[in-house]
Amino acid sequence: MSEAQHGSLRLRVDRIEPVTPEINRYTLSAEDGSWLPPFSGGSHVRVLIPFDDGQTRRNAYSLMSSPYDTSKYQIAVRRIHDGKRGSITLHEKVREGDALLVTTPANLFPLSKHARHHVFIAGGVGVTPIYSQLDELNLKGGSFELHLAVRGPEHATLGRELQEIYGERVRLYGDGDGSRLNASDVLAGRPLGTHAYVCGPARMVDDVIGAAHAHGWTDSNIHFERFEDLGSTGAPFSVTLARSGAVIEVSPEQSLLEAVEEAGHKLPYLCRGGACGECETEVLELDGSIDHRDDWLSESDRCTNKLIMPCVSRATCTKIVINA
Amino acid sequence: MLITGIKSRPVYDELTPMATGLSHVAAAQGSGGGVLVRLLGEMTPEQLATTTVLYSTESFTGKNHLADLQAFPVRELLVFPSNTEAVRGLDAFLLTAEMGTRLYLSGSEGFIGTSMQVATSYGMNTDEVLREHAGSFVRRVWCAHCSHYSENVTRRVFRCPGCERDLVVRDHYSRRLAAFQGVKADGEVPGELPDDEELDT
Ligand code: FES
Repeated sequence: MSEAQHGSLRLRVDRIEPVTPEINRYTLSAEDGSWLPPFSGGSHVRVLIPFDDGQTRRNAYSLMSSPYDTSKYQIAVRRIHDGKRGSITLHEKVREGDALLVTTPANLFPLSKHARHHVFIAGGVGVTPIYSQLDELNLKGGSFELHLAVRGPEHATLGRELQEIYGERVRLYGDGDGSRLNASDVLAGRPLGTHAYVCGPARMVDDVIGAAHAHGWTDSNIHFERFEDLGSTGAPFSVTLARSGAVIEVSPEQSLLEAVEEAGHKLPYLCRGGACGECETEVLELDGSIDHRDDWLSESDRCTNKLIMPCVSRATCTKIVINA
Repeated sequence: MLITGIKSRPVYDELTPMATGLSHVAAAQGSGGGVLVRLLGEMTPEQLATTTVLYSTESFTGKNHLADLQAFPVRELLVFPSNTEAVRGLDAFLLTAEMGTRLYLSGSEGFIGTSMQVATSYGMNTDEVLREHAGSFVRRVWCAHCSHYSENVTRRVFRCPGCERDLVVRDHYSRRLAAFQGVKADGEVPGELPDDEELDT
């Protein structure tokens, strides 16, 4: 299996396919053909996008290939004119055969293990994390349906691809037939144990959450992913590793875990999303406060400021020493 | 000794109306009926009109709150002569229940535990359910040797009706089995039984 070097994998771009006027799908594999690290449905990676001026952007993209085939990763990149040039650079500069640096997969959008039925709602490129989730459910025999809104027939390629595999369980809206996705209708009258997953523009996410609450759903059955808040970003800070004495700078766009790895040190991890508890690390000294962003530590653990989850949490401090 | 604070035992809530629910189902047994009377008293007329009550009159302590429960204008009041039938009634209700339903449970630990197993099998989450213990803390015991469940166990050492072994009741509560574990009492030295005592936790 390929191992991450300094926290990232060096992958070759095998194939670039335009799937809509704005979206390209990239197929990536290890340069030596070895297996890539495994991932679960809903995972994403960050692609390190180098700019001519020497700067690097880290954009998060969902893995849309099968979690059961780690000979390759596939991501879909929508060209966004946001002034940050990340997706534009990928579209314009990267060619088949090029190498890209990609982080180890992390999952902030996992499937619920206890759901009796899964309802997915997505808009446009928001369908990408759902690809691997459906694959996982299909193999495990889970019950699901997908409601996908697109902006017109020429944007519906990915939806039609899924329809071909999953048939009636995939419903397309806006593919030329004048239908509109109404979140409240989709969620009404659902049996107990139904879970909803939404990925798309912020307005759609808010809409679905609002509709679910109006139908009396509690938060544990509502799952969402907003592309903007993937990963751990925030103000830069520096961290001292107690064992080696190394002082490491954590930049605004990387997590503490990523920064430590980039500096050539190792920390334990599994989910890289603040859920599994694997990366829990002791804080030995702190001058400032910890910005806990995980779902692992209890309220009382947080208050003591003695533990941190490096995969997602950050610190606002003049000094932090961790037991690593 | 065997008794310590039992960490594995569920921490119970206090039943109070869950305002975000659109439909409510309240199931109780014996003394738990008194808790439901308090709960229903705190509900708005709209909440009462969307509430189904399931009540089992089986009781270890002999308390019956049926008359008080009948005073509330709820959607439906279903009465059962035994806990087993009440749990089956809950199962039937949840089968057609929709998202937005809130569940309230009150009664003995065994009743709450088995009802919770049913709720979990329908995928209900802990934020959709409240549980309040009522009555005595009699234990439901699962025999590690023959898998027989004994309800309302009050002694530390008792004979399993399933396999006739003398069992000692351990202080570990299994949420999966919704029961305490009973193991052969003279497992270490045959014929030597540990001290019997009243279970008071
Ligand atoms: S790696 Fe799972 S919580 Fe950090």
